[in-house]
Amino acid sequence: MKKLLSVLSLLIVATMILAACGAPAPTEAPDVPATDAPEPTDAPATDAPAGDKVQIRWFVGLGTGTDPAQLPSQEKAVADFNASQDEIELVLEVVPFDSARDTLATQIASGAGPDIIGPVGWGGSNAFYGQWLDMTPYIESTGFDTSIYDPALIEFYQTEEGQVGLPYLVFPAAIYYVPAMFDEAGLEYPPTAYGDKYTLDGAEVDWTWETLTEVAKRLTVDVNGANATEDGFDATQLQQVGFANQWQTHVAYQASYVAGAADIVSGDEGSYESAMPDSWKEANKWVYDGMWGEQPFMATGPLAGAPEFGNGNLFNSGKAAMAMTPLWYTCCLDQFRDAGFEFQAGVLPVGADGEYHGRVDADTIRLWKGSANPEEAFKALSYLIGPEGVQTLVVGTEEVPAAYSGLPANPEFQQPYIDALLKRYPFTTAETWDVFKAGLTYPDNPSAEQWQPNWNESWARQQTFFDLLQNTPPDQLDFDAEWQKMVDDLNDIYAK
Amino acid sequence: MIEQFSNFRTSLKSLRSFRSLSPLARKELKQGITFLSPWILGFLLFTLIPIFATLFFTFINLKITDGIASTPKWVGLDNYKYLWNDNQAGVNPSTWFQGGTPGSLWVTMAFGIIALPVGIFLPLGIALLMNNKHLKAPNLFRSLFYMPYIVPFVAAVFLWGGMLNSQTGWINRFLVEILHVSRDSVPMWANSGAEEWGWIYATYVLMGVWGIGNAMLIMLAGLQGVPTELYDAAKVDGANAWQTFWKVTFPMISPVIFYNLTLSIVGLFQYFLVPLVVNQGTGRPGGFTMFYNLYLYRNFFLFQNMSYGATLAWVLFAIILVVTIFLFWSAKYWVYYASETRS
Repeated sequence: MKKLLSVLSLLIVATMILAACGAPAPTEAPDVPATDAPEPTDAPATDAPAGDKVQIRWFVGLGTGTDPAQLPSQEKAVADFNASQDEIELVLEVVPFDSARDTLATQIASGAGPDIIGPVGWGGSNAFYGQWLDMTPYIESTGFDTSIYDPALIEFYQTEEGQVGLPYLVFPAAIYYVPAMFDEAGLEYPPTAYGDKYTLDGAEVDWTWETLTEVAKRLTVDVNGANATEDGFDATQLQQVGFANQWQTHVAYQASYVAGAADIVSGDEGSYESAMPDSWKEANKWVYDGMWGEQPFMATGPLAGAPEFGNGNLFNSGKAAMAMTPLWYTCCLDQFRDAGFEFQAGVLPVGADGEYHGRVDADTIRLWKGSANPEEAFKALSYLIGPEGVQTLVVGTEEVPAAYSGLPANPEFQQPYIDALLKRYPFTTAETWDVFKAGLTYPDNPSAEQWQPNWNESWARQQTFFDLLQNTPPDQLDFDAEWQKMVDDLNDIYAK
Repeated sequence: MIEQFSNFRTSLKSLRSFRSLSPLARKELKQGITFLSPWILGFLLFTLIPIFATLFFTFINLKITDGIASTPKWVGLDNYKYLWNDNQAGVNPSTWFQGGTPGSLWVTMAFGIIALPVGIFLPLGIALLMNNKHLKAPNLFRSLFYMPYIVPFVAAVFLWGGMLNSQTGWINRFLVEILHVSRDSVPMWANSGAEEWGWIYATYVLMGVWGIGNAMLIMLAGLQGVPTELYDAAKVDGANAWQTFWKVTFPMISPVIFYNLTLSIVGLFQYFLVPLVVNQGTGRPGGFTMFYNLYLYRNFFLFQNMSYGATLAWVLFAIILVVTIFLFWSAKYWVYYASETRS
């Protein structure tokens, strides 16, 4: 019996040791103040560098880059960089998207965070607010040429943490539209240059949200062929909607487009408060009326989720005349194209304040604040987002296709990306793609996905509000009360 | 249960008498344990230790998003106190409908009041029909009723979502175009507003009915296990159909009903998938679809609040444990085990 107990005890102890080696206990995490990164250590946290080279770890997983098909291009970029100099060894670490956040959080908590992280969008970055390195001193010391980028995009990455990113892949928004539907309704196409007027009923008018609303109503058709402005229009049986906020279904997205970007959190730590301006509320009310008003021109939640309307991919179903969404939506229009539909793009309307309020989704590659070798990390980053890196990772070659799909912020490399889109959608005009490029001048700054305290929960609360708008008719929803409830809830979430 | 406990005691006695085992038996026992050790290790590493780790989490403020920048601190029972006062969780009945939300526990129980009877008695009713000697082609009907259970539940939920779509679903179209129900009067189903939350639960129950094939099969097996002599005796005694069911069938299949009821209640507290898919897991409208397990999921995985998620999970475990103990206690009053002997 004694031997048996000994064996069991040994097994349990071995288990404990294995478990202890598997992950650091939470209480052993470094004791650092909130938003401060752990103190850099003298040596890199991982294995000793090969030879005299400083090892720089590049973490991929928070955004694109984890698909096996994307690996060859990323590995080539790393190999090319390593072959180009003898001071730094760049090491690629690809973590599956589903576990990337937890993995990165654990690494950072244990002081063993990677040096380079990305590509990552604003949403993914906000989960690690306070961990990003201000690159300003390194940009200055290395003479990194930022003049090649649109100044608005440089400013786009200037937050209270500093210059936390440099422009890399950008996805400006525009109005996708179906010319055939405009032709059928006898309407002019949306303008293709910011500042241009729109011709409605023979008169030149500003391309405002009011104009878009009127056009969208005329493009919204019921089963009897009547549009939303005509007598006898049956709003309960729509066959086609005039406008879709394609996958831009969030309070912040809608408001950024219609009312313009805004700082939505005021106060300091411990006293944060929601500061969403009234214009944001009005912007979301506009969307609500567009769905549930007497002359609707947008699909409600149930309609947008119906199989006949594309199960959420509304524009792709060919049942929407216009869709407002960023450039990445070109990912998802193959069915649309194969069904014989054609689209072009027009510019976003001008806001009520006379300014254009665009939206730019963007992926960039960032540096961790706790990196032990920030200079070397910036050098490697400069390569990845510089001409050589973009050529390998975004443009690609016949042998090694590009890893990432997006409009390079570096104008030198934009045309190959546009050429690929022209090949995919041969009916589109060069003018259409120029619309997107022009949209780079109007990023939402601060981003619609800007940081908020308890970002995940705050973002989800706003999402819940928008979901309510999409799915609740006016007789069952008090818009003002629900808005106020959301604001109150946000204040509670910020205070947690 | 009693038999299993008795076996366990016997095993313990065997262990105590390890020294008295023959050398061959001791060798076999050692070999057995050696062969079992990978499983024991796996169980410890991937089940038991994580379980206790989550219990530990409930006493600290571990939040993945904060954890990267700060050390989790020991907070004692703060997470439990917060949970007690959390309107959305609704563990404390006095918080129900405060802060504009019914509370997740209320939602779960309200839905259970509607869903449980359907989930128990509908399979029983269908099983009785399937067991009827006058039924033609019983195997065909059994297969047809069981088949939907094979369809992956997520696929079924999407399918029902399309059918019950308030604007384009064929059920509402049927109501409007064939039965000439006013378009303003047809139900919004899962898209109903907070004032019509009953329709939402009815929609969920309807979707759940799709998958009753398994419960029906278990009930049917129970019905077929009832000795026919009992029915013959009841007939001789002049019992009518209801008396036969209530005095013979029900007691004899009560262990099967008990089994289904226990699983259904545990399943109810873990109800999650349908509101996640149909109402996007947002709790819309007004928190009436924020089931307890969905709230747990959001805290754990969406908000990455490990400590609070773990607290919700442990409280859920405690609630299920209490309800299950109550069920087992109540069993002696209504569950009949023909072979059971009580000391």
